[in-house]
Amino acid sequence: MVKRLSAVLLSSVLLLSLAACGGGGNGANNEAGNAPKNEATGKPASGEKTVVKILHWKQENINKAIEEINKKFEEKYPEYKVEYTTTGPDDEFKQAQRARITAGDVDVLADLSGMRLSPKEWTPGAKVPDWQQWIDSGLIADLTDQPFVKNYNANDIAKAGTYKDKVYALPTGKVAMSGFFYNKEIFEQHGLAVPATWTEFIKVLDTLKEKNVVPIVVAGKDVWPLKLPVFGLQAKILGGGDQQKWIEGVWKGQAAYNDAEAVEVLDKMKTLQDKYIIDGFMGIDYATAPSFFATGKAALIADGTWDAPTIATANPDLKFGYFPIPATEDAAKNKSLVGKYDVTWYAADKGPNKEGALKWLEFFSEPENYTSYVKAAGFLPTQDNIQTDSEFIDKELSPYLSGDFELAYEILMINRDNVGEHLAAEGVHTEYLAPGGEFKTAKELADVQQQEWEAAAPK
Amino acid sequence: MKEMYPFGKGLARYVPLLLLMLPMALYIVFYFGPSVMTVIYSFTDITNVPGSKMNFVGLDNYYDVFFAGNSGERVDSIIRTLYFMFIVTVVQNGVALLVAVIINQRLKGDYFYRAVFFLPVVLGVAVVALVWGMMFDPLSGPVNQLYDVMFGYKDMFFGSFTHAFGYIIFVQIWMYMGYSMLIFLAGLQSVPKDLYEAGYIDGTSKWQSFKHITFPLIAPSFTVNMLLSIIGAMSTFDIILATTDGRFNTRTMAYDVYKETFRGSLQMGLPSALSVVQFLMILVFVVVAVKQMRKREVEH
Repeated sequence: MVKRLSAVLLSSVLLLSLAACGGGGNGANNEAGNAPKNEATGKPASGEKTVVKILHWKQENINKAIEEINKKFEEKYPEYKVEYTTTGPDDEFKQAQRARITAGDVDVLADLSGMRLSPKEWTPGAKVPDWQQWIDSGLIADLTDQPFVKNYNANDIAKAGTYKDKVYALPTGKVAMSGFFYNKEIFEQHGLAVPATWTEFIKVLDTLKEKNVVPIVVAGKDVWPLKLPVFGLQAKILGGGDQQKWIEGVWKGQAAYNDAEAVEVLDKMKTLQDKYIIDGFMGIDYATAPSFFATGKAALIADGTWDAPTIATANPDLKFGYFPIPATEDAAKNKSLVGKYDVTWYAADKGPNKEGALKWLEFFSEPENYTSYVKAAGFLPTQDNIQTDSEFIDKELSPYLSGDFELAYEILMINRDNVGEHLAAEGVHTEYLAPGGEFKTAKELADVQQQEWEAAAPK
Repeated sequence: MKEMYPFGKGLARYVPLLLLMLPMALYIVFYFGPSVMTVIYSFTDITNVPGSKMNFVGLDNYYDVFFAGNSGERVDSIIRTLYFMFIVTVVQNGVALLVAVIINQRLKGDYFYRAVFFLPVVLGVAVVALVWGMMFDPLSGPVNQLYDVMFGYKDMFFGSFTHAFGYIIFVQIWMYMGYSMLIFLAGLQSVPKDLYEAGYIDGTSKWQSFKHITFPLIAPSFTVNMLLSIIGAMSTFDIILATTDGRFNTRTMAYDVYKETFRGSLQMGLPSALSVVQFLMILVFVVVAVKQMRKREVEH
């Protein structure tokens, strides 16, 4: 009996220790777990190829460009082999990113809009974003002294690649998103010009409606495309055009989600949603929306500049342009685009092949390779003197890109921890104002937002 | 005396114990261990960042579940979960019982019907969500055209703040009804024929024979079905993820757990606390349901 008992006890002790390993797998135990792996893969015998592991999300045009760069990289540096993994975008990628960096199983990893949401001294209690925790834990390589960083525009690196005066990331391109693609033929046919003020804009939309043309299409089902015109409204209206000031003000209690400016933003978007955006837009998904525009079923589409290649492919004969949403009555103020940085590279400091990661980033940053990438991606380049050869960028966008690039609300805003759903994910969620939404007026939504903001105040 | 030592004497006696250890080990490592760790994590500030320290923070995470700035939404999710569970359990089992009784009448092609009703279970959530996404397409979907012709009304379906959750409940029931039906059918087929004959001789009506013979005798299947749908409904997040992704007032508790774990911050304490709360709620409902239903089961 005693024997049997001790056998059971012994084995359960053994199992419990196993269980502890299993349970702690996503936490502290990994440090011990990946040390031997580093040694195994990081120091190969001479003459063998070492693997550079790159993690990115799926986006066909960009993936293709990177695969080509990888091929050239392997040709030039035969000692390396690139393992380029792509996952689904957004959440799926975020999960992969976390898993791989936690396991020390990645060398170069992509992020969307680097260096955002970092808490400031005026944001007490704000959550520390993933990337910052990674840097603080020493998981991301310091690129400050790497010569290839100099290939990039210093302002862009400062804005979207620098943390605590050190460079940790390479922002590889910018996109503008606060405007509309418009169908030039439809505009010509009805004698319309690109509007410069809000009044002109409404006039254009009314004219289109009178002529039985659906004015605007937007992919409401995915919800986020509704944010795009709102970014334009926010950047021009909040804080009298100084969005950053308004955001700080809202933290300090000097501005509010239900003050006149914030309500004006919601109200203008509500006007578009109620009157000018296609019926049933909350049922149109992002993949389908461009086809409405490309086939002339709608005169405008609210979309980011990155979608120009998609629209051109959907209808190669279509003549289209792009203009920023004329948010105010001040034509000069309206005349610039709002956007964000897109794909951003980090190198893992504790990955299996840091040296390979730096080599790859250096190769990627060579102007020739960078140009082929930025062309394929449709981004606005972050390296100087790059010829994109894109008529769309050079002719349609450049008039609106003089001066400094304005960052969108979702990039500048830092949310309070546990803020309510009407403000979640650094947005103001005009979908709640859509026909059938639970709020009948912009003010009602604004009041709820301000309540949620105050409720989330740090205690 | 062979029977006393079926595995031999000495150390060999421990062979069965050892063999049992393997599944036990797997169970403990992959199921029981993580479950216990989740409870422990719910009292800490553990994060997903390797090398970071873990501190015990007492009930802070539980406080955040119910009293943080956005806890109103979590409470809404909990209420929605209960509503979901109640409707799904009642309607799914009601319809499944009805269908099972009809199919059990030995009508022609009952195998065909059985297969058809069971098919959605086999399809899986992603396919079901895709199919109903197309059926419920507000612009070109057949259901909206039908609504338009019949009532002159159009709906936004999964994009409607007021109706989306109702449509999700419908899809959930559509998807799992066949499963409950199969269990009822098995129960129905185990009811001895002679009882009905005895009832027939005593002059029972169809309803009486259902109420007094069938229903008490299939009570065990009823218990199983109720439990499965209560547990299933209270931990549903997949169909929500695949149809509305929690938008349009369709978040449930299980969806919140998923969201906080995989899409929220790197903090794992709060989602752990949420899942402990979820577990306790399921436990309460299951215990109450089992106690109630065990009373009604009869031996035969």
